[in-house]
Amino acid sequence: MAEPDTIAAVATPPGVGGIGIVRLSGPRVPAIAQAVAGRAIAPRRAQLATFRDADGTAIDQGLALYFPAPASYTGEHVLELQGHGGPVVMDLLLARVVGLGARLARPGEFSERAFLNGKLDLAQAEAVADLIESGSRAAARAAMRSLQGEFSTRIEALSEALIALRVHIEAALDFADEDIDFLGDETLLHRSADLQARIAACLTGAEQGVLLNEGMTVVITGAPNVGKSSLINCLAGFEAAIVTDVPGTTRDVLRERIHVRGLPLHIVDTAGLQETADVVEQEGIRRAWEQIERADLILLVTDATHPAGRAPDAIQAQLPAAVPVEIVRNKIDLCDEPPGVEDNGATPVVSISAKHGTGVDLLRERLLQRMGYRHNEAGALIARRRHVSSLRQAQAHLREAHALLAARGDAGLIAEALQLAHRRLGEIVGEFTNDDLLGRIFSTFCIGK
Amino acid sequence: MRYPRKFDVAVVGGGHAGTEAALAAARMGARTLLLTHNIETLGQMSCNPAIGGIGKGHLVKEIDALGGAMALATDAAGIHFRVLNRRKGPAVRATRAQADRTLYRQAIRERLETQNNLTLLQQSVDDLELQHGCVVGVRTQLGLRIAADCVVLTVGTFLGGQVHVGEAQHAAGRAGDPPANALAARLRELAPRTGRLKTGTPPRIDGNTVDYSRLPPQPGDTPVPVFSYLGDAGMHPRQVSCHITRTNRATHDIIRAALHRSPLYSGVIDGVGPRYCPSIEDKVVRFAERDGHQIFIEPEGLHTREIYPNGISTSLPFDTQLALVRSIAGFEQAHITRPGYAIEYDYFDPRDLQPTLAVKALPGLFFAGQINGTTGYEEAAAQGLLAGVNAALSVRGREPWWPRRDEAYLGVLVDDLITRGTSEPYRMFTSRAEYRLLLREDNADQRLTERARALGLIDDTRWAAFCAKREALDRETERLRRLWLQPGSARAQALELRTGIAIKREHSAMNLLKRPELSYADVAALDGAPALDAGLGEQLEIGAKYAGYLDRQRQEIERARHQERTLLPDDLDYSNVVGLSNEVRQKLIETRPATLGQAARVPGVTPAAISLLMVHLKKRDGLLRRSA
Repeated sequence: MAEPDTIAAVATPPGVGGIGIVRLSGPRVPAIAQAVAGRAIAPRRAQLATFRDADGTAIDQGLALYFPAPASYTGEHVLELQGHGGPVVMDLLLARVVGLGARLARPGEFSERAFLNGKLDLAQAEAVADLIESGSRAAARAAMRSLQGEFSTRIEALSEALIALRVHIEAALDFADEDIDFLGDETLLHRSADLQARIAACLTGAEQGVLLNEGMTVVITGAPNVGKSSLINCLAGFEAAIVTDVPGTTRDVLRERIHVRGLPLHIVDTAGLQETADVVEQEGIRRAWEQIERADLILLVTDATHPAGRAPDAIQAQLPAAVPVEIVRNKIDLCDEPPGVEDNGATPVVSISAKHGTGVDLLRERLLQRMGYRHNEAGALIARRRHVSSLRQAQAHLREAHALLAARGDAGLIAEALQLAHRRLGEIVGEFTNDDLLGRIFSTFCIGK
Repeated sequence: MRYPRKFDVAVVGGGHAGTEAALAAARMGARTLLLTHNIETLGQMSCNPAIGGIGKGHLVKEIDALGGAMALATDAAGIHFRVLNRRKGPAVRATRAQADRTLYRQAIRERLETQNNLTLLQQSVDDLELQHGCVVGVRTQLGLRIAADCVVLTVGTFLGGQVHVGEAQHAAGRAGDPPANALAARLRELAPRTGRLKTGTPPRIDGNTVDYSRLPPQPGDTPVPVFSYLGDAGMHPRQVSCHITRTNRATHDIIRAALHRSPLYSGVIDGVGPRYCPSIEDKVVRFAERDGHQIFIEPEGLHTREIYPNGISTSLPFDTQLALVRSIAGFEQAHITRPGYAIEYDYFDPRDLQPTLAVKALPGLFFAGQINGTTGYEEAAAQGLLAGVNAALSVRGREPWWPRRDEAYLGVLVDDLITRGTSEPYRMFTSRAEYRLLLREDNADQRLTERARALGLIDDTRWAAFCAKREALDRETERLRRLWLQPGSARAQALELRTGIAIKREHSAMNLLKRPELSYADVAALDGAPALDAGLGEQLEIGAKYAGYLDRQRQEIERARHQERTLLPDDLDYSNVVGLSNEVRQKLIETRPATLGQAARVPGVTPAAISLLMVHLKKRDGLLRRSA
């Protein structure tokens, strides 16, 4: 059997936790361990080591654990690097092992390998399949969320610029007989320089994004005047939204970044989801639905004093099935109920009073649990990490292409470097096939006999 | 009436696919019958008289490396040779030749007539003989029933063809040929997924009416390139020049004024033609800002004055064709010998084929060439060869063979067809290949000949030549690896004197060859004389200069190899695979890929889906083993 890739992932939940673990599996593990720890790691013994970057800078100090094949979870060489947690350190460690030839694992891939290598019972096939399927679905959603706003615009423009350059180079190679001078054009070098600048800008934006956007996105929604804004204020600890008792006060989507025991959380407060003729409010509601589609968790706030408050079916039925929901029964102070959690199979219900802060600790606890449950390979953080990793690789290929172009080097090699860059970019924006490229060539140039 | 002899392989069709299929099967020792409706047209170049070009030339070299006929026949018939992309790097360098049609036909026919195990018979095939759902022979127009273990259909001439010239239409095959309707109807019953393609040709012109004095000549290259690894320039007939002319504003005005009479624009033909082969009316409409389009004047042969004006394919009415042709420099007095036309024709969805080109639903039957939705002699010949090989293997009960995408353009061609199907006549381009740096013209023999020898495709003469070349390369590589240059040594000084390159630390000569500014001749002469001729020396140099890139590609290929080798069982029930989305499941059912690697290339199939398939296969294997 041919050598498989070596895969890597952060094995602990995201956040500023105590310990963060990067786990690797595959044939390159011994070499990577040696390079990161600066010495060979003895098998099956926790060893203190300083994890170093390519230039020798210390990234972190921690424990390295090496399980040689086949006596490991996956049946391959496995390495665990246990560091001090924290997103920045985990990020640097991951980037380092990717630089050493590992690639980011797909959702469920460690279990997949364990199963394929006979480390798991056949009866667990379905469980592994579930893990892969649900993980990939979540990862796809996370990737979609990562591709938003300015970042998305920049990536799209970068991708288009790369296509435009490739169209010239590939047309020159495949249609040498045409009376078009595809390569003579000095603008090719300018185009290539422009690509360098664009990808650098994308990377800067994305790397900042990894830090800023990490964490789970929680959408707070519900009928008007059930206390959504009070809840967010209560969680955030200061007045973020205008709180009045006029229904529909929150006319726009509010974002709040809070920390629950050091774990960052994005709280999105949506406008009340009522039908309305007010144009401004309609816009608010539209935006609210956009946020809901992309959330990791929905807190559906209800009014405990309202008779139908316990099961707001009308709203719940509209929520996307893929996003988990928790119902927050607010205003229990008005009906003298105690705070509490009901989690018995159906949608969990947390009863609180945002006004008095009762039960809010319970809710924080729930949020923490939710974060721990999430697949590591599927979160928004790892989605952005994947994007950064792809971008870095694309950047290396673009640099190579640019150097060759500047030196008027072998056009076949230029095309190769650009193709590789495009493939890495395709991991972010979707595959652009060879046939798609031919299509672009034919629509750009008058080619053919 | 039953034909008195039984055959291992019957090949139907004597075009480029059919002849290579029959030759390959016969070379491998299969008793082979080649059926054609007309022995006189065996090896006929029915469209433009050129072989090779970018991507296509690569295919021709691969056919040659597999012992096929096309390259040698072109060396015997080529009257104008060029190497395209010479300055753009070795990977995309490609040989192209204009061939004399008559000489080409003769070369192919001679090869067929002297091939052991091969029988020729002039008969149209009207039907297939079936037994228990398997193809067991063919029935001809005379009612002859001929038994064969495998049948290769290469009935490239337009199935169900419909020709358009202006407002006029008629049913037809290739220009002048009858359409193969009886067989087409039968095939449609047996293999239900069909599609319709269209393409076109330019009007042909009597060269006696062309004023060449006004046209720039385009001579072939000197020294004259050679196609076959066994060929040499001494095999070539007399060489001639091509010429170039252009359309102009007047031409475009004539075309615009007649657009409403073009079946492409009046709605009679509803689909679009191939993107890479637009009609002149398409070019004028889509690229209206251009005031001229290049036309290559390709000679049809040494002994005919007819020329093929490549670049003005059209289905405009005849009077417009005449007017537009006569508006072009050099063609003012031109006489059109054969009007241009557009043609619509049927093809069979190649996703219904295995990578061996066997029809999935009909054991014993293979399809090759235009019937699979491709265009071009080279694409057809390459498929024919592959189908012939696998028909012969199947008769012997041997394992099938097909090259992977990283081994040959033939591998790219077949994998593209069976995985993605096609919506326009499929033509090879180098940009279709992921591993372009590996798939070069210069190394096609190194990629394929050893394998072909094991298959039984390579005779002793070719094998000896191949081995000698390989040994020479290996020996010289070894010599250059052991040849060291120390800074300040006499060799280093000699090199610096000659090339201006200073040696600052110790290098092997092989390592020095990686530098873009040094050639094989520079390096090899450091100690004694270069051992290789220019061609082989260049190949060694390419290997050195591309080494880093090739290693990277090889690693990538190595990683993917496991997937390429994992066969998906014929009875795999995709509805039992846990976790697949309906969309992916549907695509897999439509394509029924042969390997996991192919499954991964089906559009829309995600890496997660491949993981799910692997988990499913592992479980299935385990359960089968347990119950066994």
